[in-house]
Amino acid sequence: MHAVTACGWRWWKVGLAAVAVVLAAGCSDSLPKARVLPGPDAPVDPQDALCRSAARDPGRVTLHRLNRAEYNNTVRDLLGDTGSPASSFPPDDHGFGFDNNADVLSMSPLLMEKYSHAAEALVEAAWRRGAFNACVLDPAQPEACARELLKTFARRAWRRPVTPEEVERLVAFVALARQQGDTPEAGVKLALRAVLVSPHFLFRVELDPAPTSTVPHTVSDLELASRLSYFLWSSMPDEALLQAAEGGHLHEPEVLEAQVRRMLADPKARALVDNFAGQWLYTRALDFSQPESRYGFDEPLREAMRQEMQLVFQEFVTGDHRLKDLLDAPFTYVNDRLASHYGLPKPGTPAMTRVELKDHPERAGLFGKGALLTVTANPDRTSPVKRGVWVLEQLLCKGPPPPPPDAGGLAPAVDPTLNIKARMAQHRVDPTCSGCHTLMDPLGFGMENFDPVGRWRTKEEGGAVVDPSGELPGGKAFNGVTEMRAVVKQDPDLSACMTRHLLTYALGRGAEEQDRCTVRDISQQAETRGGRLTDYILAIVRSDAFLQRRGEAEGQKP
Amino acid sequence: MSRTPALSRRTLLRGMGALMALPLLDVMRPRTARAATPAPRRFVAFYTPCGIHMPKWTPGGEGANFSLTPTLASLAPVKGDLLVLSGLDNLPGKPDGDGHHAAATSAFLSCVKARKTEGTNIRTGISMDQVMANALGKATRYPSLELGIDQGKGIGNCDSGYACPYANNIAWAGPSTPVPKETKPRAAFERLFADFDPNVTQAELAKRKAYGLSIIDAVRDDAKSLQGKLGTTDKRKLDEYFTGVRELELRVNAMDGTGPTCGAAMTPADSDDVREKTKAMLDLIVLAFQCDLTRTCTFMLGNARSTRVYSFLGLSGEHHTYSHHQRVQANYDALAKIDKWEVEQFSYLLQRMKGVQEEGGTLLDHSAVYFSSEIADGNMHEHKNLPILLAGRAGGAIAPGRHIRYGGQPLANLYIALLGMFGVSATSFGDDGTGPLPGLRA
Repeated sequence: MHAVTACGWRWWKVGLAAVAVVLAAGCSDSLPKARVLPGPDAPVDPQDALCRSAARDPGRVTLHRLNRAEYNNTVRDLLGDTGSPASSFPPDDHGFGFDNNADVLSMSPLLMEKYSHAAEALVEAAWRRGAFNACVLDPAQPEACARELLKTFARRAWRRPVTPEEVERLVAFVALARQQGDTPEAGVKLALRAVLVSPHFLFRVELDPAPTSTVPHTVSDLELASRLSYFLWSSMPDEALLQAAEGGHLHEPEVLEAQVRRMLADPKARALVDNFAGQWLYTRALDFSQPESRYGFDEPLREAMRQEMQLVFQEFVTGDHRLKDLLDAPFTYVNDRLASHYGLPKPGTPAMTRVELKDHPERAGLFGKGALLTVTANPDRTSPVKRGVWVLEQLLCKGPPPPPPDAGGLAPAVDPTLNIKARMAQHRVDPTCSGCHTLMDPLGFGMENFDPVGRWRTKEEGGAVVDPSGELPGGKAFNGVTEMRAVVKQDPDLSACMTRHLLTYALGRGAEEQDRCTVRDISQQAETRGGRLTDYILAIVRSDAFLQRRGEAEGQKP
Repeated sequence: MSRTPALSRRTLLRGMGALMALPLLDVMRPRTARAATPAPRRFVAFYTPCGIHMPKWTPGGEGANFSLTPTLASLAPVKGDLLVLSGLDNLPGKPDGDGHHAAATSAFLSCVKARKTEGTNIRTGISMDQVMANALGKATRYPSLELGIDQGKGIGNCDSGYACPYANNIAWAGPSTPVPKETKPRAAFERLFADFDPNVTQAELAKRKAYGLSIIDAVRDDAKSLQGKLGTTDKRKLDEYFTGVRELELRVNAMDGTGPTCGAAMTPADSDDVREKTKAMLDLIVLAFQCDLTRTCTFMLGNARSTRVYSFLGLSGEHHTYSHHQRVQANYDALAKIDKWEVEQFSYLLQRMKGVQEEGGTLLDHSAVYFSSEIADGNMHEHKNLPILLAGRAGGAIAPGRHIRYGGQPLANLYIALLGMFGVSATSFGDDGTGPLPGLRA
């Protein structure tokens, strides 16, 4: 295999796309700086005095169309339909790393068509299942039952009480059906379809009292209920949440906290695993990994790796672990196949089983997980750059700037007897590259004991001995993955970075520079309270960014 | 027009595997000959990611005396229908800093520089296929058809600070509204054909229309009552909704139960194998044109910065990795293999189109079929001298069978010329279009 060349232009480009960093363009001698979103342990930035004084901008979330996961979960909870109709919708784009980013969730004629078809099919199926049997549609006087049924349904579907006018407009479908010589049932079904293609269902509507005023205001309890349920469940509020909101109590801190805890304990909180962690930890990309056949990667292994990551994260959703312990949690879930892949004792079952990693510290935490190691490798070899970039972007929010086009571009001189670290040494020699690569590469070297599908190794494929040592800027040296992850775990920006990703997901908008103080507050609060995922979630839910919004000055945006 | 054998419902269902609820298609019924009207003009844009290894692409010679290079060899059966256009540039595809793939992909048909953002306020320009669709679309059931092979991976960032819509869409209905593509052949097929119900009575049809329209009225009222309460950006989102509702209304109004008047058998396969998937999608394009369900289509063989592994070509690395070839011969060879395969797919499409006889010539004769990539050389991210093929005669507006060398002209000018052929007169397009590209008619 040809391979590493000077300056790693190619290594980089092979890698996961770079976050555009606000600062430095191109590689340079000076170290690239992260977007500044410091964590609780970070040295105090004098600028942060601003966080205490200036009025905080809670930002605003664009009118949010339900994405495919949200649509599926919502119709599941609304109609009991578990057929995942949205899987035939066109894929959602994503922004800021998540596919629930309201700004990039567009509506289109194609999607509208799909919604219309889905609504018809969903209503028919639910009707057949008897989901609307609460009252009997008397053919002579069907209106009373229709009114009750549609009012109840629209309230849940639109996640708010409906006005009498709205209800009457829906009930009018019964008369329309009668005109056409059809039964009341036909009319009610039409009304139900109308509810499901209404913008009130397809969008999460949040209104500003003054749409052009940028003065922050608190979102309504009902809007808050939806924020909460789509954050924790990727779905609609349930009856308990809706009632708390309708009663006007949801914004009360104790009520809010009780709801959060209740919701996290509900199986629906699995959505955080699938949708938040699946994207934050890149587990979703496992579907697309195509490792070379010589690594023995197959579907059962892919599935076991995926479940391992999901089960571990699930423990963090409900359990008592500190979120930072994701980096070195001393347990995991394996079945026989994955255990032998990892070199762990087999649990003696094809079912995923929780095991302690006392004797295998190298497997502890995220960096020992096959899913992550596979998606951050090339199909045919490891990529220290991809792995390093993943750590920087997803854990430390220090994505380095992209390299200049065709940087270096020198002909490669490949000596297969050299290990990858030696081959990449050029990265750190060339001054146009060293700035970035001294940051990216060492973190990846720390994981070099894992092959492209996450198996432990002490020798590279070419026979060279793996050298998993590295030194980060500032002189922090480590040898191997256990030392490397300790360095990352102690990084003062880890907490803020986790906050930033979680906040981005929670709000469905990018957490940007103006959210700096919010991010800092949330991570501080969360760590003070114990640093569990629950603490982070509660701190987010209590933040102004979550509880408030503002309008948008006319003409402010094109 | 030649009669085609009737297709049995069973044959079709067998081919379609688990797809059950398919109503009878018109193609299965005795046919009546279509009136001998001139065939309409059609347009296809065929996008392939990560550029092309140009040394093996660019033909020697000029005019009619050009010879197909190894990469283009599969086009021999349609060489006389082909224009190779060298020397066109799409400079608006150049990003701020890095992000060449995403920026150039959103500019692929729009020729407008994308605003660099990971999500907030995405902005590029309307794409030429959508301009065309706006002008021609009312004549057909679907104003345009957007197809592709890959969903996004749904993780990370798509390209150096550019939001994923830039990387995953070439069709843009407006500056901030990408037009999503179908990536599942079966879903695309169902959309095109599953709505027809030849057994429906006129009375039933009238009722369905009335019901459909009343639902549309109701939700439009819902949207209208919201409109006044929203800020600028939210209004823009709601406008997308209104557009969707309007299109839906057109579709409901157009319901007539007669179905498409075409007779090609079709077997859409939902496979993860890119070869099968591509073939199914290309077949669908031909079928949609044959049935005159649309006249404008875009197709993305991959998303920007594709990391597909072409294992069936004996390659183990990712496409994007190879495209940063570092002037290494092994990478050149890999790229040439991929390029060749991509061109073979294009050639398949052209040959299928050439095989369809219509009033006054073949489907290909009546079409303009455009092939390119967002960049030229993948290592340098060149936005100049793009790899461009244009096939078909566009109903006489193009004189193919030549290699034309332009010494640097905006790609937008090609689009202006194409728009002109489709009855949309424009003097400018995108950021740098100045007038129609000359020479296409010879």
